[in-house]
Amino acid sequence: MRNSLALCAAILAVLPAAAQQAYKAPRLAGTDHPDLNGLWQSITEANWDIQAHAAQPGPPQFGALYAEPAGPGIVEGNEIPYQPWALAKKKENFEKRLTRVNTDGVRLEPLDPEAKCYMPGVPRANYMPFPFQIVEGDKKIIMAYEYASASRLISMDKAEPAPVESYMGWSNGRWDGDTLAVDVTGFNDKTWFDRAGNFHSEALHVVERYTPAAPNLIQYEALIEDPKVFTRPWKMSFPIYRRLDKNAQFLEFKCVPFSEELVYGHLRKKPDK
Amino acid sequence: MLKRLWILTIPILVSAPLAAQKPAAPGKQWRTPWGDPDLQGSWSNATTTPLERPAKYAGREFLTKEEMAAQDKQTAIATDKRDQEGTPQDVNGAYNGFWWERGWSDGRTSLIYDPPDGRIPPMTAEGKARKAEQDRKNQSSEGELGAGPYNGPEDVELYTRCIVRAALPRIPTGYDNNYQIVQSPNSVAILQEQIHETRVIPLDGRAHVNSSVRQWLGDSRGHWEGNTLVVETTNFSDQASFQGATPNMRLVERWTRVADNRIDYRFTVEDPATWSRPWSAAIAWTATGNLYEYACHEDNYGLYGILAGARAQEKEHR
Repeated sequence: MRNSLALCAAILAVLPAAAQQAYKAPRLAGTDHPDLNGLWQSITEANWDIQAHAAQPGPPQFGALYAEPAGPGIVEGNEIPYQPWALAKKKENFEKRLTRVNTDGVRLEPLDPEAKCYMPGVPRANYMPFPFQIVEGDKKIIMAYEYASASRLISMDKAEPAPVESYMGWSNGRWDGDTLAVDVTGFNDKTWFDRAGNFHSEALHVVERYTPAAPNLIQYEALIEDPKVFTRPWKMSFPIYRRLDKNAQFLEFKCVPFSEELVYGHLRKKPDK
Repeated sequence: MLKRLWILTIPILVSAPLAAQKPAAPGKQWRTPWGDPDLQGSWSNATTTPLERPAKYAGREFLTKEEMAAQDKQTAIATDKRDQEGTPQDVNGAYNGFWWERGWSDGRTSLIYDPPDGRIPPMTAEGKARKAEQDRKNQSSEGELGAGPYNGPEDVELYTRCIVRAALPRIPTGYDNNYQIVQSPNSVAILQEQIHETRVIPLDGRAHVNSSVRQWLGDSRGHWEGNTLVVETTNFSDQASFQGATPNMRLVERWTRVADNRIDYRFTVEDPATWSRPWSAAIAWTATGNLYEYACHEDNYGLYGILAGARAQEKEHR
C-alpha cells in the first residue's frame, strides 16, 4: 500500500507547481462540483506528534514493535502557539497519558483519548493511520472513518449553527471553486491532536480546505483557532492520497473492546485468593 | 410533529397487500443528479408495530382503526409517565415522553409479512441450542439490580458496552431510530445515529471481502433493481447475533422511495443452521430531522458505575 502511494507522490513531485494548480478534478456527475468520492488516507507521522520529532522507543517489553517513527511534522512553521499554562498542560497530558488519574471526580482513567478509543475529533481523524471514505452526494457529504467508527456529516445545502458540543464537531461545508471548505465548530475539549498530548478547548474552531490536486491526491489544510489555548491561529497541512490497492475497501475498526482493559481493568473482579 | 404526521400517510402503504405493492413510477423528484433513485435524507424507522404478531391477532394482518387508535393511546400514556422525583423509580420514569421516540402503530399486527403468520419461522434444534447459549452470554444489565455477575465488561451486554446497538438488520427500538443516507454514483453511506457508525456500501459490483474478515456490521454490497436499492450483507461476526443466527446468515435489504417523506424498507434473512426457512419484514422509514452525534463509550458512566458498584458490593459483603 505504502509503495503505491509513494509512487503516486513521486509522480506528483515532478510536476511543476503551476501544473498542479491548474488541475481540474472530474465533476460529480450531473453537478458542477469536484468529485471527491473514494477511499482516502494520509501518510504522515503526525498521529504520534504533529510537530517535528525524532524516533522514540515504545514500551520496552515489545521491542521495536510499538516504537514511534520520526516525522518532519505537519504544523506550518512547526510552532504551536500555546499560552504558557497550556504548554504545561500539554506536557502533563503526555506524562500521564497512560496513568490512571481522576479528572472528572468519578473515573480513574489514563488521559490519552486514542488509547481509550474515543472518537478522534477533527482534523486528527484525517491523519490517523487508517483509511476514511468520502461519500459525496449533491446535498450532504459523509466522511466515514475506520478508527472508532467515527463519522461526520457535512452539510452542503444549509449551514446551521452547532447545536451542542461533540467529539467530531458540527460541519458546514461549501465549495470555494474546486476546494471543499468546511467550517467545524461545536467541539468538546476531550480530543487531542496526537499522542504527544497536543490539545484544545471547547472553543476550538477548525476551517478545513480539501483541494483536489491530481486524480488521486487532495491537498489538505486546516486553520486552527482556539483563543482559550493558543495565542494566535495556526495552520497544518498535508496531502491525502486515494487508496489504489486493488481490494481496498472501508472496513471496521471498532476499538471499544480493545480499549476495555485499559479503561475498566482496575474495576475487574480480582481472582479469589 | 413528524411522528403524528406519518400516521396519516401510513394507510397508503398498508392499503395494498405489502408483497403486491408496486414501486412508484420513476418519479423525477426522487432522482439524484446522476440519475439513480434518490434515497438521500434523514430517516427514522420508529414504530410500535411489533416484529412478531402477538397471539391475540393470529390470522390477521391488520389492526382495525379502533385497535390502532387504542394502541397509539397506550403508547402515549406509557411513554409519558414520570415517577415522583427523588424516588427510586424515578430513574426509569425519567425516560418519559420527551426521551422516547417510540413512533406509532403502522396499522399492521407485525413487521414480519413472510411467513404470512407474521412469526419468525421455527428454529432448528441446532439454532435453539445456540440461542440459549447466546442468551446466557448476552445477559442483560437491565435485570434486577445486582443480578450480575459483573466481573468485567464482558459480562455486560454489547449495547451497554457501546460496541453496537444491535446486529443488523435494525429493528426499531425505544429511541434514536435515526439514519442518514448519502449517495454517490459508486457507493451509498448509511450513517446510523447509534452507535455513530457508517455503513459504506459499494455499488460497483465487487466481490465480498475475504470470508476470514468478520465484522460487527458484516460486509455489504449493493446494486439498483429498478427504483430499489438492494443490499446483500454477509461476513457477520460471531460476537453479535441477529435473533440467534450464525455468522453465516445472509441478509438482503431493500430500500424503495415511495413518497417524499417515506421509504419502504424490507429485509429478508436466511440461515439454514438457525431457521427452517427464510423470513421477511417490512418497516417504513419516515423523514425526520437532523441526526446528532451519539457518543457512547466516551462517556460511559453507566458501565463504569456497574463495575465499580459490583466491586463496592463485594467489599461490603467481605
